[in-house]
Amino acid sequence: MAQTSANVKKGDHVQHHFVDSDQQFESAKMGMWIFLVTEILFFGGLFLAYIVFRSWYPELYLMASDHLDTFWGAVNTVVLIGSSLTVAMAIRSAQLNQQKGLIINLAITIALACIFMVIKYFEYTHKFDLGIYPGAYYAYDGIAHDKANIFFSIYYMMTGLHGIHVLIGIGLMIWLIVRARKGHFHSEYYTPVEITGLYWHLVDIIWIFLFPLLYLID
Amino acid sequence: MSGHHISSAKFLWGVGIVLLVLTFITVAVTWIEIPSPWNVVVAIAIAVVKAAVVAMFFMNLWWDTKFNILLLVMSIIFFMILVGITLLDTLYRTDPIPSF
Repeated sequence: MAQTSANVKKGDHVQHHFVDSDQQFESAKMGMWIFLVTEILFFGGLFLAYIVFRSWYPELYLMASDHLDTFWGAVNTVVLIGSSLTVAMAIRSAQLNQQKGLIINLAITIALACIFMVIKYFEYTHKFDLGIYPGAYYAYDGIAHDKANIFFSIYYMMTGLHGIHVLIGIGLMIWLIVRARKGHFHSEYYTPVEITGLYWHLVDIIWIFLFPLLYLID
Repeated sequence: MSGHHISSAKFLWGVGIVLLVLTFITVAVTWIEIPSPWNVVVAIAIAVVKAAVVAMFFMNLWWDTKFNILLLVMSIIFFMILVGITLLDTLYRTDPIPSF
């Protein structure tokens, strides 16, 4: 019985303009990589701002970085690496027709992403309490440097944009669970899981660079 | 789609553990005060290795078509061009932007 229903499903997902399932999968994946290129250049602009201002005010970065908690930054790095692992496991589950494993791994990923955002929330509110706001709203005198607001503007822009990506990732993962529960994914068709996985790993890679650049300088 | 690469669970956990070890190393090197330009070099080098591990074995570029690797490499090259040309300006100004 399972055999026949699988057979019915087999060709269903192939759009008429593709030769076969494989070509469709490869095309979707290549499209995603092109999107990831634009994402890298998008974040690249912020990394460039970081580099330019660090070359102008190297001492500012050393002073301001002391106000970021390395411990929580490291915890968040571990959390994101764990979530990358569970996404990879989710793709493996889909490839092996393990419905339950797919849903469980996606759920763990969402939980880890939420932990990341909660930690980020506490880091942000702690800074807001001190008066560390971005740009012109900066109102903290604990750092003896005229340009202290610049470091935190860059910090908020980079971690904020990254946080928005994490939130979008959570949304995508919820969508995947809804579809997985309807039985949309199987070894012949799991493109959305693969593609969301690529997105999630890129978000992880960006954090891998943000962590040492923002937290680990002193 | 039997042609797709399926990583074993053991392999994926191994990759995860390697990334956690590298995370520990990148934190640990800050405890042994490396002199100024080199601490940044070491931190970036470890981050690049971690990013490469994620791209190769989690994003499956290792088993993927070469075109997707080419896309990633091109984005990095264009980012370096962006940084290089901008620094040619900003590094050699006598006075940075006055109000900033």
